[in-house]
Formats: sequence, C-alpha cells, structure tokens
Amino acid sequence: MKQIIYTEWLKVKSYRTFWVMLLLALVIIPAGNFMVADKFSENLEQVSKMFGNPFSFPEVWLTMASMNSYISILFGLLLIILVTNEYTYRTNRQNVIDGWERSQFVYAKLFWLAAISLLTLVVATISAALIGVIYGNKPFSLEGYQYMLYYFLQFNVMLIIALLIGVLVKRAGLAIVLFIAYNMMLDQLLSFFVKRYIGPVGGLLPLQSGDELLPFPLVSKMVSASDQYETSVYITAMIAYIALGIYLVFRKILKSDL
Amino acid sequence: MSILSLQNISKRYGAVQALSGVSFDVPAGSVFGILGPNGSGKTTLLGIVTDVLRPDTGSFTLFDRVPSAAERRQIGTLLETPNFYHYLSAYKNLEISAAIKQRGKDDIARVLEICGLTQRQHSAFKTYSLGMKQRLAIAAVLLGDPDVLILDEPTNGLDPSGIAEVRELVRKLADSGKTIILASHLLDEVEKVCTHVAILRSGKLLLSGPVNTVISRNDFVEMAAADLPALCAVMLKYPGCTGAVIQGSIVKASFAELPNPAAINNYCAEQGIWLGYLQLRKKSLETAFLEITNINAS
Repeated sequence: MKQIIYTEWLKVKSYRTFWVMLLLALVIIPAGNFMVADKFSENLEQVSKMFGNPFSFPEVWLTMASMNSYISILFGLLLIILVTNEYTYRTNRQNVIDGWERSQFVYAKLFWLAAISLLTLVVATISAALIGVIYGNKPFSLEGYQYMLYYFLQFNVMLIIALLIGVLVKRAGLAIVLFIAYNMMLDQLLSFFVKRYIGPVGGLLPLQSGDELLPFPLVSKMVSASDQYETSVYITAMIAYIALGIYLVFRKILKSDL
Repeated sequence: MSILSLQNISKRYGAVQALSGVSFDVPAGSVFGILGPNGSGKTTLLGIVTDVLRPDTGSFTLFDRVPSAAERRQIGTLLETPNFYHYLSAYKNLEISAAIKQRGKDDIARVLEICGLTQRQHSAFKTYSLGMKQRLAIAAVLLGDPDVLILDEPTNGLDPSGIAEVRELVRKLADSGKTIILASHLLDEVEKVCTHVAILRSGKLLLSGPVNTVISRNDFVEMAAADLPALCAVMLKYPGCTGAVIQGSIVKASFAELPNPAAINNYCAEQGIWLGYLQLRKKSLETAFLEITNINAS
C-alpha cells in the first residue's frame, strides 16, 4: 500500500489542477461556515432567543455538518478528474502493463477517496469548532458531534458515486455532467417523488439518506420528523451504498478490458 | 524455458473475432516477431499477455508460471501507443514507471540518454513530438534493464534515422541475450532482426517457428529470350521447376530446390531457345509473406 500511495503522490505532486481544486474545495468549508455564521448571528438574534443559537455547542456540529453537505460537490469533481485522467491518458493500462495488479489500481483510487474524506472531516471539524467558540455562547463540547460523522458518511457516499461514474463513463466531461446532475437534482427529485407516491423509503436514496440525518437546525425544529426511519436505518443504508459502490468499482476494473 | 507460452487464446469484440485459438511458444533468448497486417490481432494478443485485455478462452504462462503483476514487472512493454501523464515531464513520468516496476530512480538518466531525450527530460510530455513520445515509451521499456521486452510497432511515428536507431537498439539488445517479442506489420523490420516468427491473419495463427523454416524463401530465376511464351512452356517441363510466368519482358521461374543456372542455360539451348538474360534471385520476404497468407486464406 505504501508503494501505491507513493506512486499516486508522484502523479499529483506537480499537477497544478489538483492542488488548485483541492485548496479551493478545502477553503470553501471554513469560508462558507464563517460567512453564514457572521450573517446569521447579526440577523437571528430574535429567532435564536426562541430556538437557541445554532452556532453554539452542541448545535454548531449539526449546523455546520448540514451546511457542508451542500458544498461537497467540488471534492467529487476532484476525484472524477483524478480517475478520468487515467483513462484519457490511458495510463490505467500502462500502470497494469508496468506491473500493478488491476486491484492495485482500484486501491490507488480508494486511497484518494479515504484521503480526501478524512482531510475534509478534519477541516470541517476544526472550522465548526472555531465557529462554536467564536459565534456561540456555550463552552466547547463534543456532544452532537455524531452529526459530523453522518456528514462524513454522506461525503463518502458522494465520493463513491463520483468514483463509480468516473470508472464507468471514463470521459471527464460526461462523467462530470452526470455527477453534477445526480448530485444537484436527480437524487432529490427521485427522493421527492418516491416519498410522495410510495412513502418514506424515498428518504433512503444514496445522498438523501445523509440529508435525512442532517436537517437544517432551525427547520428541523419547526417541521415534524414523524415520517422518518430510525437513525440507524439511514446509517446502515449509507454504509451499504459505500460497500456496493466499492464492489461495483472492483467488479468493473477486474472483469473488463482496460 | 519458454518466456511466453500461449494456449488456445481466443478473443471476440462483438461481431469481430479478433483472435481464434492462437497457441505458440516464445523461447528464451529469441527475437520473436509477431507478423501480420493491420487488424490481424497482434495488439490484442499482446494486450492479453499484459493483462489489459481479458481472453474469452485459453490461457498463457510467463516464465513458465501463472502470470501475475510480479512477472509483468520483469518485462519492459510498449503496447500500441505511448501512455504517459501529459502534464508531467519525461523524467517524472519515468519516476512513476520506476515506482510501479519497483525499481530505483538511478536508471532513469541512462535510458533517457539511450533514447536521446536527456536535453528535453524536464519538458512536459504534452510538448513532445510524436517521435519523442515514442522514444520516451522506448525509454520506459528499457527502464531497469529487463531481460524480456515486448515491443508493439516500436518504430511508429519515428523518422527514418529514428527507425534505424531503434532497429540498431533492438539488434544490440538481442545480441546481449535478451528475449524480444516484436509485433510489426513491417516485413523488413522482422526480416532484419527476428530469429523466430508467428504470422497472424484475421486473428488466426497461420504459422510459427524459426524464421528460416516458417518463411521458406526458395530462390527463383529471372530469364529472357526472343519468344517468351515458348520459354515459359519449356521451363514448365524442366525437372524441379514449380512454376513459370511471364512478367513484362522476363520469365520468372521458381523451383522446389536451389536451381543451377548453368544447367538451365544448357537445357534451354537444347530446346532451341537462346537465353538473352539469366539471373538467380532470392524471393523477397514480402512475396513469401503474401504467399503464406494467401495460401492459408484460400
């Protein structure tokens, strides 16, 4: 695994697009957090008297997790570019010709999935903690941190969808369009229709499962959550989606012509 | 020991049968040419050997072992096109190749020098000309000095001096005892360097073995006289003559065994035909190849 990570490092070390996108995606998290906290703290004094300050511990974890889930998409695009580059340059073939097992190619991309999601969790955690300390009025607490972990799970579901689309579609342009369409519309749209005509099972679609656990704090207090499953159901669904995604990526790369 | 042994490999792309039941062995130390026209299945075959393509049926061994990544790391391979990261320099691309082959970086300077890329080693791959890209691919093949090389159309995109350099390089590598598997549609490329050959046509293996036995290149005789049709008729009756045809102003006569020009001259004179021209020729590889592919096709 060390050798795989070293090789992946060599691939991106001097790749400017990668670093620009990564930096941008990472900066957006605290920038977005602070912008919202700053704006709302001014205007929401009355509301927060009724519902509590969403930027204080423990609520800040949910507030920031919920917010961050809207700006995850850039990381997905980054992963798609890392994967489709290999197909564009046909280096996925060359890596195997030169002496990787096909499975090692999958591990290399799963490494990025893990690295990006862990890095994001760290940045999001630090950013939310700072918001809580600066804009909140209660002492630091890890109570409610599970929302950050739900966000982390949803983030991984989003990345595995990006990886799967990249591996199946192979071309950057089309993969990006499909990924954005699914992320920004299709998942919510399908979920909406299934919920309306079938029932709460619509909340179990890949990205919606995370959204169900990350309601926007003030909204959640006003809207009843009676038509939801237990939290564990959504968590199980997300883990199942991640496992299924990994299985499909392995299957595609191990079985088909490169 | 067989470096590569193929057993009954078949591969289909939709309606196209790219390979059907191909089997042959590549002996250690040979320069093994895989010869065939475009679309005959050469690259598909090498793609299967390097695990980028999956055969529908059949199996193969590398170094008499079930092939895995460990065997591939001992082989330098150029398959079809040079595949590199466009945004990286030649040097950095070779660092990646070296990392995957689990070899150190210390050989990079040597292979860049051999391929004439030292001057441009820090330029991005995307700025390279077609010939330079091909040279870099050859440099990657040489990385770590492997004992076995697979070269698929290695002279693609090179100018005449580049082609000559690559042939010289292949010859030197062969002389140093390396096994080289060389796919080409260029007959003279194969003729000049190969010891063994396998001939593919439409995915079928026509023949394989040592070059001299596979491509039997019987000599023939070119001759001319005042009456060409009469000369032709007379030659067809000559013992050992397998064919005689008029081509322009000469008659071409072929033989089962090495013909004796003096005896032929004498024979023609006895038949009342005085030769104005008589020349012993070697059949060109191209003719031999076309004969093999046509005979086996019909």
